[in-house]
Amino acid sequence: MLKGNHKIPDRPRKVFPDMLGSLVLGFELKESENAGGSLASLESGEELKAFEPNGLGSVQPVAMSDFVDEKPKGTNLDIRSRLLRPAKDGHGQVSAMEGIIAADEKRSDLQYELSQPEINLEKLQRIANNGLPDGGGLRATAWKLLLGYLPPSHEMWEKDLTEHRSKYAKLKEELLSSPARWGENTTYAETIVESNINDGPLQRQKISPEDHPLSVGKSSAWSQFFQYTEIVEQIDRDLQRTHPDLKFFSGDTQSSRKHRESMKNVLLLFAKLNPAIRYVQGMNEVLAPIYYIFSTDPDEQNAANAEADSFSCFVRLLSDSVDHFCQQLDNSSVGILSTLSRLSDLLKENDEELWRHLEHTTKVKSQFYAFRWITLLLTQEFSFQSIMRIWDSLLSNPFGIQDMLLRVCCAMLLCLKGRLLCGDFIANLKLLQHYPTDINIDHLLNVATQLSPDTSSYSLSL
Amino acid sequence: MGTYRADDDYDYLFKVVLIGDSGVGKSNLLSRFSRNEFSLESKSTIGVEFATRCIRVDDKVIKGQIWDTACQERYRAITSAYYRGAVGALVVYDITRHITFENVERWLKELQGHTDSNIVIMLVGNKADLRHLRAVSTDDAGSFAERENVFFMETSALESLNVENAFTEVLTRIYRVVSRKALDIGEDPVMPPKGQTINVGSKDDVSEVKSVGCCSS
Repeated sequence: MLKGNHKIPDRPRKVFPDMLGSLVLGFELKESENAGGSLASLESGEELKAFEPNGLGSVQPVAMSDFVDEKPKGTNLDIRSRLLRPAKDGHGQVSAMEGIIAADEKRSDLQYELSQPEINLEKLQRIANNGLPDGGGLRATAWKLLLGYLPPSHEMWEKDLTEHRSKYAKLKEELLSSPARWGENTTYAETIVESNINDGPLQRQKISPEDHPLSVGKSSAWSQFFQYTEIVEQIDRDLQRTHPDLKFFSGDTQSSRKHRESMKNVLLLFAKLNPAIRYVQGMNEVLAPIYYIFSTDPDEQNAANAEADSFSCFVRLLSDSVDHFCQQLDNSSVGILSTLSRLSDLLKENDEELWRHLEHTTKVKSQFYAFRWITLLLTQEFSFQSIMRIWDSLLSNPFGIQDMLLRVCCAMLLCLKGRLLCGDFIANLKLLQHYPTDINIDHLLNVATQLSPDTSSYSLSL
Repeated sequence: MGTYRADDDYDYLFKVVLIGDSGVGKSNLLSRFSRNEFSLESKSTIGVEFATRCIRVDDKVIKGQIWDTACQERYRAITSAYYRGAVGALVVYDITRHITFENVERWLKELQGHTDSNIVIMLVGNKADLRHLRAVSTDDAGSFAERENVFFMETSALESLNVENAFTEVLTRIYRVVSRKALDIGEDPVMPPKGQTINVGSKDDVSEVKSVGCCSS
């Protein structure tokens, strides 16, 4: 599923474990001593406790409350997703609401699938493509599987997760702690003076002249450390502005501060591991849905390790599109401009009239609107809940995230065809930069799926 | 739902860009001017945002087409296209963060590299409501603006202070330049003469003049 041309140095090779605990009846949660490690600051469950039921703001409070419930409640299911599929376990309850039944069926389908000793990824993709149910941690587990972070083999989960999480803890220790703390352990340098003479001078750390805080050398550990302060400030500013309407991310509560701190660690670690890309504004938006889903997993162990899991999944998520963030590659075949022209081709193939009107008559260049759609995986265009639904489809596309992303972008244009055709440059640009919120997401995704497949070049590169 | 067609009734269309460091309040200046809205926590701008508003100068209706751009290095290669055809610019800094003022010089250089030399520029010190946190004095900024030969104003998008003035001033100055030029050469201002220094491009995203009625927004 992951495709070529990614230069992410540290792409976690393996996948992790654990987690279906909350899904499978009779499965006992085991506390894995290892997994905590230096991540202990993220105490299990705290996220959920601190997160007020209404934390997601006034936008669709009922539907959103799903995310925070520890246990799935049928009545809270997103009744907009009317997905009628045969239930595997004959959940026989008759409900007055077709939507609820559909959602229940979807949930039990998924639960059944996820409880198999060997997950059938194709089946999971099919289920996810129709939208995953909110709440109960199902989406968290499904996304981890779809991203290849969890292996299909259930019994491997716990071991893999433990490994990945401790690896993340180590990376963080090496790359995110300040040089001032290096003396506290011996991994960086043998710093502590061994002798312990009672009446002698106080113990001091040995620091090489290059690494003295006042050293002007470029290679000094402090110089390298300070080089990132600007990035840290930028990340901080952007995290303050990530979904400002959702209390989970914004505001001055203890929990939102903690979430921002964790997300900052992920983004900064990514920046340090990818010096050619570093941090680019907007990565915060791409990280937000993953981090949110993982840290609201009712499984405490998972929630406590949301930061570590998010990091690996963020890297995987960007694996086939990280080049969009890279200015040097703008004009290359993997850069954003070439992706934009693929979108244009896709539109032309599916609706030449609209394509002509946009590109030639009104000259609304795709880079004025779709640049953001594509680099941010649509995270600034829709409500948080709609983003989740769209991502279910992006992550479950057998031809990869980017293939589906382009289809959705094209569908977004097609769904506004009537308005766009009678709009001029200004009207069209305004419309596309502020995509209407009343659009039916399921319809949009249907249109996307049914586009004629001009993404062959993409499929072939698999 | 309203109409989808943008208002076409204007005499002049001027493209103005908003630039400056991250977090200085560019997007809020734009939303205050175009929709009279302010949000304490707006999302960071990725790529470009765009808004319009008409003002009246003398008996003419001038439509400001304001482009708000992302400031990070990565986005600037892509955004350089946004400068095309710009005849005005607001270079914004945050009066509570001195570094954003220091970087103004860099932004001015960038403008020079991408736009016509006759572009009307205004230096804007935003967040003037945060008086107790002020890190850049009005005098310093004023004399800097004088040296650089650009206009200067302090604004507060939050308190709606001077925002209207800043944009109106820039648009009016552009209008004066355009109409004076037309006058000097003695031609109809509607059809800019050859050699026109104000960049008047094709009818898409660049500034233009038009002869139509008036506009209501």
